[in-house]
Amino acid sequence: MDKLVFISILGMGGIGLFFACVLAAANSRLAVKENPKIEEIENALPKVNCGSCGFLNCHEYAVALAEGGQPINACKPGGEDVEKRLADILGVEAEAMVKKIAVVHCAANGTVRKKKAEYRGIKTCAAKNMLKGGDVLCDYGCLGSGDCALACPFDAVKMEDGLPLVDPVKCVACGKCISACPRGIISLEEIENCEIIYVACSSRDKGPATRKICPVGCIACGICQKVSSGAFEVNNNLAVPTYEKLKIVEKKRRDYVKMPN
Amino acid sequence: MFELRLLTIFIAACITHNFVLTYFLGICPFIGVSKKTDAAIGMGLAVTFVMTLSASVTWCIYYFLLNRFGLPFLQYAAFIIVIASLVQIVEMFIKKTSPPLYRALGIYLPLITTNCAILGLTLFMVLREYSFLEAVVYGIGAGLGFTLALVIMAGIREELEFADIPESLKGASITLIIAGMLALAFMGFGGIISS
Repeated sequence: MDKLVFISILGMGGIGLFFACVLAAANSRLAVKENPKIEEIENALPKVNCGSCGFLNCHEYAVALAEGGQPINACKPGGEDVEKRLADILGVEAEAMVKKIAVVHCAANGTVRKKKAEYRGIKTCAAKNMLKGGDVLCDYGCLGSGDCALACPFDAVKMEDGLPLVDPVKCVACGKCISACPRGIISLEEIENCEIIYVACSSRDKGPATRKICPVGCIACGICQKVSSGAFEVNNNLAVPTYEKLKIVEKKRRDYVKMPN
Repeated sequence: MFELRLLTIFIAACITHNFVLTYFLGICPFIGVSKKTDAAIGMGLAVTFVMTLSASVTWCIYYFLLNRFGLPFLQYAAFIIVIASLVQIVEMFIKKTSPPLYRALGIYLPLITTNCAILGLTLFMVLREYSFLEAVVYGIGAGLGFTLALVIMAGIREELEFADIPESLKGASITLIIAGMLALAFMGFGGIISS
């Protein structure tokens, strides 16, 4: 019995050693020289692999940067700090960065959101969306199961009363929530001083139809268009702001278009 | 007669007892790397290479080492070591020779290590008591069968990009349904060779 154990250890050890030698030889023979800058750049990046730069992970972005021709301000979680360090490493000028955050274009929280049926099934927005929106009556609005909050790698999206609330400080605009939302009601918008004006509705239904379904939906009355002298534009039954024209900053964060009621 | 037996083993491993579509081994890369034909061919050839080499190396290890010293119970561990090392070498080789293919295969390349089709191949080979030449032919056949399944799947999925698929079947569901249909088609050959 002892002999068997001894032979086993010797045999496996021998096989392991043999292949280790083969691998070591292959490694030195087939080694690929990597640009030393890649490692330096990768160390400067935040390594959260969020993909907001458009590359698969931080390493891919570092490789692309080392090759040149890529904008150095694509890393959103890193912000200006990382941009400055990248500028040092690559010897290029840092450009000013615009802070963007994710905004949810729906304001119908759990209390005002109308239901059309009882939903018993997988509790994700994606599953609900496949089943004609699950229990949510509105064909455009938030489904309230928090796929966006789950997708957020920075813990910036929280579900409050069935509606996602984005923390403007924590949000780095990586866009994970945008791809997680099956209804596509989240978008990235530029903000200044954590304040933003946006239309908290995505409904393309006509006014009366929207009003029937939702008390806070945009009914495309066009008043915003008149009072803001063209900063808002009603297009396809939905008001859309043009941010260049919109210079007025209101103090309320969760403010939507003025409506006659 | 010997050549006929080799041919039978080859055809059986490649088509009638296809690893992916009749044994359902190696489903992970079958679903994962079958989006583009180029990547599918690359993956198939990498797996074929690993399968052929691991079939011959594990045959030697099993009969010259494990069997001789009464250690056949170590076959699982020994085979995994062989496969893992071979995959490492293949990975280095592809990284050196073809960076685009390396990027296209991505995570699925190191995952060949845990591809059950390869471990399955080595274990079947021992179970059926193949001779060395038969084992090598079996490895090549199984690898080419894997490539065949992958390329057919990739071809269908490329066409599928333009097809009008019902909303609820998009993505993984339609892929699995197609995999099932392909398996049915391959099982149609089942009676030709009994192996």
